[in-house]
Amino acid sequence: MYRYDPIDQAMLADRAAEFREQCARRLAGDLTEDQFKPLRLMNGLYLQLHAYMLRVAIPYGTLDSDQLRALARVARTYDRGYGHFTTRTNIQFHWIKLRDAPDILDDLAKVGLHAIQTSGNCIRNITADPHAGATADEVDDPRIWVEAMRQWSTFHPEFAFLPRKFKIAVTAAAKDRAAIKIYDVGLRLHRDDAGELSFEVHVGGGLGRTPYIGPVIRERLPARHLLSYLQAILRVFNRHGRRDNIFKARIKILVAALGVEEFSRQVEEEWAKTDKAQVDLPDVELARIRAAFAPNGFETLPPVSKAFAAARLSDPAFARFARHNVMAHKVPGYALVNIALKTPGETPGDASAEQMEVVADLADRYSFGEARVTYEQNLLLPHVKLDDVPAVHAELAAAGLASANIGLISDIIACPGLDYCALANARAIPIAQDIARKFADPEVAEKVGELKIKISGCINACGHHHVGHIGILGVDKKGEEFYQLTLGGSGEDNASLGQILGPALPADGVTRAIDQMVEVYLKERTGEERFLDTFRRTGLTPFKEAVYAEAH
Amino acid sequence: MKALTANRLADGEVVFWRGGAWMERFADAELFDDDAQAEAAEGHAKAEITCLVDPYLIDVVEVEGGVAPLSYRERLRALGPTNKPDHGKQAAGGADIEVLAHAHGAARSTGRVNLIKRK
Repeated sequence: MYRYDPIDQAMLADRAAEFREQCARRLAGDLTEDQFKPLRLMNGLYLQLHAYMLRVAIPYGTLDSDQLRALARVARTYDRGYGHFTTRTNIQFHWIKLRDAPDILDDLAKVGLHAIQTSGNCIRNITADPHAGATADEVDDPRIWVEAMRQWSTFHPEFAFLPRKFKIAVTAAAKDRAAIKIYDVGLRLHRDDAGELSFEVHVGGGLGRTPYIGPVIRERLPARHLLSYLQAILRVFNRHGRRDNIFKARIKILVAALGVEEFSRQVEEEWAKTDKAQVDLPDVELARIRAAFAPNGFETLPPVSKAFAAARLSDPAFARFARHNVMAHKVPGYALVNIALKTPGETPGDASAEQMEVVADLADRYSFGEARVTYEQNLLLPHVKLDDVPAVHAELAAAGLASANIGLISDIIACPGLDYCALANARAIPIAQDIARKFADPEVAEKVGELKIKISGCINACGHHHVGHIGILGVDKKGEEFYQLTLGGSGEDNASLGQILGPALPADGVTRAIDQMVEVYLKERTGEERFLDTFRRTGLTPFKEAVYAEAH
Repeated sequence: MKALTANRLADGEVVFWRGGAWMERFADAELFDDDAQAEAAEGHAKAEITCLVDPYLIDVVEVEGGVAPLSYRERLRALGPTNKPDHGKQAAGGADIEVLAHAHGAARSTGRVNLIKRK
């Protein structure tokens, strides 16, 4: 994977030193909160309900084992022993003290981690397919392109004060595991018959108050022009994005207001004027980055493993883990091993310092020192030999990390919600815990099959509720927590926004409603239909009738 | 009845005003029956820029066993996150924590809503 060079390292050290001075000036009273707040936000430091929260960027969700250990040290030394992985594949620490923040940034900088551009109206941390470099269905490693964009967008002076924040996601695979259609810019890499790479460019997706599935503004952009084309998109956004109304400032509002055709025309016009050679990545630099993501030296192995097959036969828990958490690798004899941070009853996305260290050690011993973070708030070991999967499973189980529920009803996305977040209207975590406990029996969860529940504690939709097969949105009714349910959303290839089921429910009615809807699905489903397929066939009616029956 | 709350600058801890000092437990908060006095205290707090962030007044009501913030959000700030009972102020336990944990009733936290609007 890509390692920061001396220029990157010097930049991080400078930035940490600068923030140390800014913190000292704030603590001495030389800066007011209004003056300091934008500075701390530029370093990912928010003030939440109980303490400061530090959001650390994990570019393209890829961590080496030393970085994961550094995160564990931050959790143990400066927080309360855990961290929270987010839908943006970042990690958040919820109990940070302002006076410790400069030391934390120093510690992170030593391993090439930072909190730069994890807040503010700039280009945020860019996400990618968590299976990058390991899946057979990709045409290139998308992280090469994301790393290029990271370097280009970091401290980019023209795009440091955009009308609003700007998020980019990239996939190079046939299956979208990066939710590219709900991003400000979503990129899908294609390779044509001649071997030429091109990007399908989606612009103006997003959730929040006004959700949109991102339309395509260009079907095939020659990959070498990625940066100049992004510059053109951002220039149109900078020129016309609304700075007068925070709720209408995202690029999705501009794309919708202008219309896709007119927006595309303006981007193309801007791009035509651009001196592309000035902006686009030189081939030699692309080659340098590409080399950093070169395959790791996989062994030549048989495609099947006797040890793996024997463990499946002898251990039902391992067999279940193999069914749901172990996925095919592009290299015969290897597998991707998903680590669900979704043990029923626990907080979705949370990992203790000890758990992070266990994953770091497993990465070192079994996965070329590399781990990944997924937007579904789970971790992943990308390159594990099939022969080693039983041992990995055993060690994960000992650390409480072997929940075999990837993609199942208890693999719930939940934002921190009102338990932590200053913006939230309602709690999300206890709702997720309650639902997961209800479906904690792995046989029940397996019978229900793929069902993605996503919970947000407010309309900002960090929990992606609009694209949950079942979405749950916490709302505030005169200070009381209520939850609005939506059905039929999807953030993946067949992306769609959920439809509102009916009136919001009180907190203690949510799990019951989920249970009732699962019953409807099990009764209505035909063949191999997933919950989403059944819903798309039947529509809202049977689900609505089941949940609101008593009201009639 | 009102109380005055803020987050402490250096560590973000939730604190409550009492006669010019800042206390960590809600049970130690000064309660104002008089709005003018409450606003005067808020004015003082806003000048304390080296130790506080975002001071604001909250509504407090009588509940079984004592008093508690009217809004659920403010009770949560006075207790800690519900998913980790061993974190936050609630971890210390005690009769005052029990009163807050069992308080019912809800209304929007007006001081907090004003803060969010300002942002």
